[in-house]
Amino acid sequence: MVNIATLVKLSLNLNLLKIESDGRVNTADTQLAISEYDKNAIEEAIRIKEKHGGKIVCVSALTWGPVNKKISDAERILREVLALGVDEAHFIIDDVLDNCTPLETSLALASLIRKLGNFDLFIAGESSMDISNSQIPARIASILDIPFVTYVRKVEISGNNLILQREMPNGIETVEVPMPAVISVTGEINQPRLPTLRQILQSKNKPLMKYTLKDLGINLNAKLMKQRIEIRPVVRKNIIYEGGNLEEIAQKLVDNLIQEGVIKA
Amino acid sequence: MKRNILVFSEDPRVINEAVYIANILKGNEGKIFGVSKLTEDNDVLSNFDEIHFAKENLIPEQWAKFLIKFYKENEIQYLVSPHTVNNNDIIAYVSAKYNLPMISNATSIKDNDATLIFSRQVLGGRGISYIEVEKSLKLSVTVPIKVYPRIKLDKQSLIKEITEIEKTKITSKGFEEIKKSGFNIENADVVVGIGRGFKSKEDIKLAQDLAEVLNGVIGCSRPIAADYGWLPNDLWIGISSKIIRPKLYIAVGISGAPQHVSGIMDSKIIVAINKDKNATIFKYADYGVVADLYQFLPIFTRKIKENLKK
Repeated sequence: MVNIATLVKLSLNLNLLKIESDGRVNTADTQLAISEYDKNAIEEAIRIKEKHGGKIVCVSALTWGPVNKKISDAERILREVLALGVDEAHFIIDDVLDNCTPLETSLALASLIRKLGNFDLFIAGESSMDISNSQIPARIASILDIPFVTYVRKVEISGNNLILQREMPNGIETVEVPMPAVISVTGEINQPRLPTLRQILQSKNKPLMKYTLKDLGINLNAKLMKQRIEIRPVVRKNIIYEGGNLEEIAQKLVDNLIQEGVIKA
Repeated sequence: MKRNILVFSEDPRVINEAVYIANILKGNEGKIFGVSKLTEDNDVLSNFDEIHFAKENLIPEQWAKFLIKFYKENEIQYLVSPHTVNNNDIIAYVSAKYNLPMISNATSIKDNDATLIFSRQVLGGRGISYIEVEKSLKLSVTVPIKVYPRIKLDKQSLIKEITEIEKTKITSKGFEEIKKSGFNIENADVVVGIGRGFKSKEDIKLAQDLAEVLNGVIGCSRPIAADYGWLPNDLWIGISSKIIRPKLYIAVGISGAPQHVSGIMDSKIIVAINKDKNATIFKYADYGVVADLYQFLPIFTRKIKENLKK
């Protein structure tokens, strides 16, 4: 039996960003989506459960507010997580966490984790798709005082130990670590499955619990760092050739590139 | 004002990448401490007031536990580190112990009198986050490699060996080095990027031929290296691997996932070739061709050859 907590980020939906005329991203009106690699974290948890038994809990925090605008979106995403095969979802909602940093997120998540009891394994995605700090796994391990191994591309369980392959820039490192431990997984570790209709129906009866910071008995000052997000202006010519004779298009393109001075005639 | 800086890098070959920022942050009389693995490189040794070396490879957790002690003993204001996978983890672990906020991969820093303004890439490279902090705030920051100038401070460094190494429950079971291409795509003027539009490993030849006539090199999107293993990891272009700034980038059969696009944004001219006219990559392209790469690449390569001969 391996009891697993998956750490899921409710990310900004990168395909539906609301951008103001001055280039500022309006995070309050942008919809949420599950962060890409967190799907791999959930899939890996399900595979471990299928093999070794145990329970999978999802823990999350709503870090894009305001809560009243985002709550139904967050619940929709966490229902989808439950439909994938996670047994329970627990998440923190508090306007203090709106646009907070990984410092506050990790403190809030660690409090929630402690409240929920003991886990053998914590699985996160390698980084969030919106902010990409990649700090949460190491921070959670530090707060809980347990080992961490990041960028894992293969998990094996042998007794109480995890045997893990890490994807490093220059190669693959194999490490062994006893549970409990925190790991983060890469996008290549598995191919996340889609839920069946039956699972979607079942997810409606699974526990989906909300907590405020007060419920968790913690007080956070999330105003240490103010973050403002702007869209980088993309100044590209966007000259697109479609249809017609490929010989002619190729010649036009070559002429363009010579004119740009990037290829020499 | 005195602000002591701790610069850490597991790999001593990149530690100097963070010294420029450390020197800005330290104020008038702060000290710069260095912690890394043993090196004999004098350019490293002379950049710190004090440098502490480990003789052997340490597990990230062991580095972190050493830094936790060091941080407290030396009244550190800022923890600075070159952004690598392990360095970022280690600094995050230490930051959590002292409730420090941390800015990962800060691409710029601006001194704004009472505050500092950091910026970093977000939203898969499409956005920039500006973070303003009071100068009195203790914090950690990691900085990308090859973005800030490399400087020499010519200090008389006090060199110490790290002798007390913390225990860890993690054991390393071996390391399998991935074969390298030998090409340095970060310095190439022309890069031809290969994406999932290529149906087999053998077809990469089509892109290689194009790169060759342009005196360029090939690179690839994440799946080509990480999923299929068709090309070595050092040719993988994207936010979690290589960021390139060539004069000409030609994306072939690449859809334009944020992960990839963020690695090519600073290219001077971007050309996209894709048979799907709705592919995101076209939004980022100066010139685009909606066509089957198998038909178009040989013609394009031949046309370039013909024009070069003229």
